[in-house]
This record gives sequence, C-alpha cells and structure tokens, in this order.
Amino acid sequence: MRERSAPLASLSRRGFLRLGAASAAFVALAQVRTVPAAAQAAPPGPGPRFFAPRETEILTQLVERLVDTGEPGAPSVRETRTIPTIDALCRGLDPALTGLLPAALRLFEWGPLLFDRRLARFTRLADAEKDASLRGWMTSRLALRRQAFLAVRNLALLGYYSQEETWPLVGYAGPLLAGAERRG
Amino acid sequence: MITKLLERGGDLVERADVCVIGTGAGGAVAAAELAAGGRSVVVLEQGHHWTKADFTQREHEMLPRLFEEAGMRQTVDGAFTVLQGRNVGGSTVHNLCYSFRTPPAILRLWQQEHALPELTAEALEPSFQRVEATLRVKPILETEVNALNRVIRTGAEKLGWSGFVTKHNREGCIGAGYCILGCSYDAKQSMLVTYVPKADAAGARIYANARAERIEVDGSGRKRVLGRIVGHGGEAYGSVEVEAPVVVLAAGAIASPDLLLRSGIANGSGLVGRSLHLHPSVMLAGFMEEPIHAYRGIPQSYYIDEFIDLEKDPHRGYVLMPIAGFPVLTATQFPGFGRDHYRTMRGFSRMVGLLALLHDRSEGRVTPGESPAKPRIEYALTPDDRRQLSESLVHIAQVLFAGGAARVLAPYWSEPVELRPGDDLSVLAARGVREGEIPLASTHPQSTCRMGGDRRHAVVNAFGECHDVPGLFVADMSVFPTSLGAPPQITTAALADRTAHHVLERWPRLGS
Repeated sequence: MRERSAPLASLSRRGFLRLGAASAAFVALAQVRTVPAAAQAAPPGPGPRFFAPRETEILTQLVERLVDTGEPGAPSVRETRTIPTIDALCRGLDPALTGLLPAALRLFEWGPLLFDRRLARFTRLADAEKDASLRGWMTSRLALRRQAFLAVRNLALLGYYSQEETWPLVGYAGPLLAGAERRG
Repeated sequence: MITKLLERGGDLVERADVCVIGTGAGGAVAAAELAAGGRSVVVLEQGHHWTKADFTQREHEMLPRLFEEAGMRQTVDGAFTVLQGRNVGGSTVHNLCYSFRTPPAILRLWQQEHALPELTAEALEPSFQRVEATLRVKPILETEVNALNRVIRTGAEKLGWSGFVTKHNREGCIGAGYCILGCSYDAKQSMLVTYVPKADAAGARIYANARAERIEVDGSGRKRVLGRIVGHGGEAYGSVEVEAPVVVLAAGAIASPDLLLRSGIANGSGLVGRSLHLHPSVMLAGFMEEPIHAYRGIPQSYYIDEFIDLEKDPHRGYVLMPIAGFPVLTATQFPGFGRDHYRTMRGFSRMVGLLALLHDRSEGRVTPGESPAKPRIEYALTPDDRRQLSESLVHIAQVLFAGGAARVLAPYWSEPVELRPGDDLSVLAARGVREGEIPLASTHPQSTCRMGGDRRHAVVNAFGECHDVPGLFVADMSVFPTSLGAPPQITTAALADRTAHHVLERWPRLGS
C-alpha cells in the first residue's frame, strides 16, 4: 500500500480544483506511469490497490449510487470490474492529480456530518439519503464541492460504462475490434 | 528512423541542421519537407509512438494514449476542456478530418490588419497543393454520409440554411467511426501515416518521448534544445540535448508559447502566450425516436455555415458541426447522476449531437505552470462571443428538431433544459452560455505566437520566423494572427510547408 499523509484539512482549493479538472477524460488518465507499461495495459488486478480497503468501500458505495440505473437486470457495480478499473486507472495517474483522491473520498463519507449536520456517515445511510447527500454536493454553492462531485462522478461513469456488460443497457454495439485483434 | 526513447534508454545528444519540436500538423510537415530538401533533421516528440495496432477502440485505453494530460487539460477555471494530441502525429491522430483551406476573407484580414501583404492565396497555393496531395484530401462521398450527418443535413435543408458535405483526408475508410480514438485501419491520413513516414524515409531522426523544455541561443545564433526523456505521466528518464542552427517549434499553441516563455526568448513584443483563441464549442443533444447509432460511420461530414459570413464580417460568426461519442465520453457530458443520468444515457443509441464552434474574438493567455506538462491556460468569453454562443443554442435546437429529434437536451450542469417539438426555444437564449454552467470545449487553441509584419505587434514574421531570434521558427497554430474561423488542419500544414521551403531557400546562409 502506498504511503499517504494528506489530512482532510489539507484539501486546499487548488487540490479540489485539480480534482475538478477531472472530466470525461480524467478517467482516461488511468494508465500506468510509463508508456511501455501502458502499452502492456495490464488488466485490473485481482483486488484494488490504489485505494485502501476502507476507501474502496466508500468508493464502491458512492459509485453504486452515481451509476444507479434502476433497471432490474442492470449489472451491479460489485459484479463488474468497475471498481478495479477505477483503481487501476488511478494507480497510473500522476500523483499530483490523485494524491488527494483518498482524502476526498473521506470527505464524501463525512459529508452528512460536515455539510448536513447529521450524525451519520455516507456509507451508513439508506439509498435515498445517500442520493440526497450527493445532491448536496452536486448543487452546492461552493464551486469546490461541485467540482469534487464531478470528478468522482466522472470516475464512476468511466468505471461503469467501460464495462462491456453495461453496453447493452445503453444500446452501444461495442468496438468493431474484438479482443483478440487488439493489443493494449 | 523513429526511436522510442523510453525503450532505448540513455540520454539523447544530437546535432543537426534543423531541430523540429513536435510532430503534429505543423512539425511533421516541416520535418518531412526539410529532410526531403536535403537538410539533416532531428525531430523531438514528447508523446509516444503509437500505431494502429495500439488503437483499441476502447475509450479508457485510448484517451490517455492520445491526449495531452490524458484529455483532462482545462483552463484554470475549469470551464473549458482543451483537447490536444500528445503522440507522434499530434492532434491529427485523433481529429475528425475536416479539410478546409484558409478562408480567403481570413487571408485578406491577415494581409491587411496584420501587415502580411505577402500571405496571399497565390503564395500559399503550392503549399496547399503539396499538403492536400500528401494527405489525400478529397470530397466525402454521398454514400459516406452517416446517419448522424444525414439528420443534421435534413434539418438544415428543411430550414433552408446553408451547409455542405465537406472534404476529408481519409483513404479506404470502412466507416468504423472510431476516428477520435485513433484509426485502427490507417485509413485516416494523419501525420502518423503520411508526413512522419515521409520524414523518416528522407532521413529525419525522429525521437518519441523527448520533451523539449528550453531553447538556448548563443551569441552566434546557434541554438541548443534541452529537455528530458519523459513517460506518459511526465516522469523523467534521461536528458535531451540537440544542437542546431535552425529550430522549428511546432509543439502546438499551448506548449510552444510555454517553451518560449520558459526559455525567455522571442518575446520582445510581449505577445508570446497572449491572444489565445480557442474556437470554443458548446453542444446540445437530440434524441430520435429510433436508434441511429450516430457513432458509426464518418463522424463529421456535413457542415452548416449559415451563421458565419467571413466576407461580410471576418471577425465573428459560428459554424455548426455534428458530433457523436462513445459511452464514457457521452456519459461525462451529461449532468446529474443515478437514475436521472441513466434516463439520458438510455437514449444513447438514439442520440444526435450538434455543436456550435465559435470564430472567437475572446483572447486568453498561456503562461508556464507548475511543470512543462501543465501550462496555465486562462480564457474568458467576451460579452459578444457569449451572446453568439447563446444564440447558437437556439439554432442548434432548431436543426435537431427539423432533423426529426423528438427531444433536445441542453446539458446545463444544474437544471438541464429539456425541450420537445413546438416548445419555445427562446428559453435557451435566455439561459445562455456562461462559463462553468454548461460543458464548453476547445480542440483548436491558436494564435499564441501570432504572425505579423510589425514586430511590435507580432511574435513571428510571414514565414514563421521569430522577429527577435533569427533561425527560430514557429510552425503550428500558434502563428495564426486571428481565430481562423474554420477547421485548422490544412492551414497549419500549409503554413508549415511554406516555412520549411523558406528555410530551404535561405540555406546555407541560414545555417551558417
């Protein structure tokens, strides 16, 4: 596990702006640091490694709400490789961009207490309460909170909609190149 | 020879007649023409040398391979995403192949208002011809117009608006539609498969993973380009040093001024990094009743020029262009989360996108950031440009509805607007376009080392040579004196061709 020391209090405006900079392609940042390694495109490993176990659980519950489709047959976040894909992506990001992500997840976890004055953590809330908490981030008057929301949301969307199992949901026919034809 | 320095290892020390920095639409052309003209040429490209075998058609794999900052480059306020290539071939590897010559009215504007009388269509004709022949520019066939573009065309024609099927630079296209993720079939005639191989065949020594970080000029005019061998995340593995009497800087309109400013050269005008134009764009999504799979086929073939008349006013206007995406890119452009967001995504296969691309007068600025990989980009819309983009939203919606859309979505981050046929579209103009409220993007940053005859008001002269530093040329979109008002690939390449031939004509005096 890599070392990390950023306390919540050190989440500067600049840091949040960095997070906010993550847009559609933020997700795509996720390749290993060297190009040759990226060319090998190691598949997501057997378990998350960028995020600590507790952060992984927070991330998973966030992603579950962010990509909730309400469709009975939709593949769930936990039965796809959504989280390992996000983790693998973040492993390859420049530390200047990812260093604050774990701390940001903990802010989401304590969001109900910090912003809603509720004695509860995000992961202990019912789904409807989780959605209300996320709406608070999305519609906050603080640009930093909105940008942090977008960064995490876009990671979730990348992780989920890059899974082939999700493509039928949206009617995407998929790449023309089959797995065996591609290198990467 | 194209050398991947990350795989070779060690430092790079080279000498040449000319050092070209960048392999996009400007650098690759300059390198090929100079090498073919007999000069020894070293080419430095900070990105990797990917080829068609690497183009997997998967978004999460291709975006970090092909885009600067993996596609997340943004203005400092986060309002504009700025997409630029970062690989051998530059942005031409991911662009969508619109192939336009410089609009005549823009050339006249540059001649008259920027003291460039020699920059005529006649003077550029040989360059246009060489570039178009090499890139195999040709009209897009009617049979190649895909479902998305047919919808847009139908809408424009019903409204009686001006539009046309454009030219492109593809050969043997099978219509897969993954142009923006790199062509897996080498049908796109990008620099990667045209001018870069041409430069290679002519003897240019091309180095991938070599980032130029400083240009030094000694008293005799000799130049040293210093830099580092870098991985995709910017980590350094070795040093780069190239000595040459002539340097052609073609790193793009963000990196080129950043490099000049870091080097402290060529800025007697104080204009290096200033005058940034972005061709900013805003997009609405329409939803058809039936699936049309807009992402299949040539993504952009129809072009609506109803709202730009450069002959009447060369300073303003906008064009409308179809746009399609794949699931991840599409998902991140829409607001909301959970079931609300999915309700939009459920229409993915029925989605038709149309964007307005503005011929902007707004001027931003590039300055060095915390590292050479992350320049600071500042840009804000002028009231008139904001007004035009706001007006464009109405016109986009009109086209989408006329083309058959059953619903149109304006993806404001907060409280997106959904419209049905017959709804009052003025709500869009009233809501308008404001930075940070709706996704805005740029794929054409330009004008940060602008060309002009008066050294007080320009960085480079009519041949791209820096007024302050003889033998240092700029050959990318940085040199456009104003916003181009049209897709820039051919103009960039033609001006680089002209620069290269100018260097050849002035040799050996220039090299001494």
